[in-house]
Amino acid sequence: MSAPPRFAQRLVEVSAQQLAKFGSETPGIALAVLSSGDGFEIASHRADKAVSAKIAAMGSSLQALSEAITREAGLKDARRLIIESDNGCVLAMGIGGTNPSLSLVVVADKSASLGHLLWSAKICCTSISRAIAG
Amino acid sequence: MADAGELKIVFTGPMGAGKTTAIAAISDIAPIRTDVANNDHVAFDKEATTVALDYGQLALDDGLVMRLYGTPGQERFAFMRKILCAGAIGVVLLIDGSRADALTSLDAYVDEIRAFDPMPAMVVGIGRCPSADAPALVQSSAHLERLGLTLPVFSVDVRRREDVMLLIETLVCVIEAGAHTEENA
Repeated sequence: MSAPPRFAQRLVEVSAQQLAKFGSETPGIALAVLSSGDGFEIASHRADKAVSAKIAAMGSSLQALSEAITREAGLKDARRLIIESDNGCVLAMGIGGTNPSLSLVVVADKSASLGHLLWSAKICCTSISRAIAG
Repeated sequence: MADAGELKIVFTGPMGAGKTTAIAAISDIAPIRTDVANNDHVAFDKEATTVALDYGQLALDDGLVMRLYGTPGQERFAFMRKILCAGAIGVVLLIDGSRADALTSLDAYVDEIRAFDPMPAMVVGIGRCPSADAPALVQSSAHLERLGLTLPVFSVDVRRREDVMLLIETLVCVIEAGAHTEENA
């Protein structure tokens, strides 16, 4: 007997659709992974399984650390974490109010505009949140 | 009181072994936690799981301050254990003695810890053992000896401060013995 699927099929399908839309409409995205709060991949865009599984786990750790440090600093909810490098950037952000809790991790190359990336990522997260709530 | 220094200690072991609980049992501060809802009830049926780290602090009577880090237990978070164990002088390895795969977990974590250079001092706490001669406890000690490791192994209830303090105090002794041995080498 196989274990039941970890996540609802609708969540997986909606997430894959939204990531594909986000990836196709936003310049510079190398890969994007949506993961559960505890680090399981739900959907990914332009990432093979070995990479996306690692990114999913790392993304959930980054999200949890972001929330922990904002909590300890007495700030309100963490919105996003941006890691900039010479060759691009990594963006990690939580999607509030969902069950399971979700995190989006995006890796972008240096052709990406950070402002455009943040704006598009926010729209992607809102779309996923609305779709699974509706 | 004179500053007696700080030690970095890491609590590690598989999911559900009690790392978060152990740190909470002895920390002088409210521990920093990164636990989230657990979606893997097949691996371990519990509500929440650590995905980045736990952090607590413990001041000993001699002024020594221990920085206590807890790791996630799942394989997918092995990268966090590598980060957290960097610079650690001691490791408390916790194993759930009630699980059928206790020795397999022990093997895997001992291998992981032995790979760190330098290898930190280590003590092992076996949880959920019904008695002092419980099979998991006896087998763990024997198993470690077969691996050529002579490590302190205790039965612990990580909810009890005195049990966790026994692990910490033993670990300090192992660290001091190691330093003494190196000085005389």
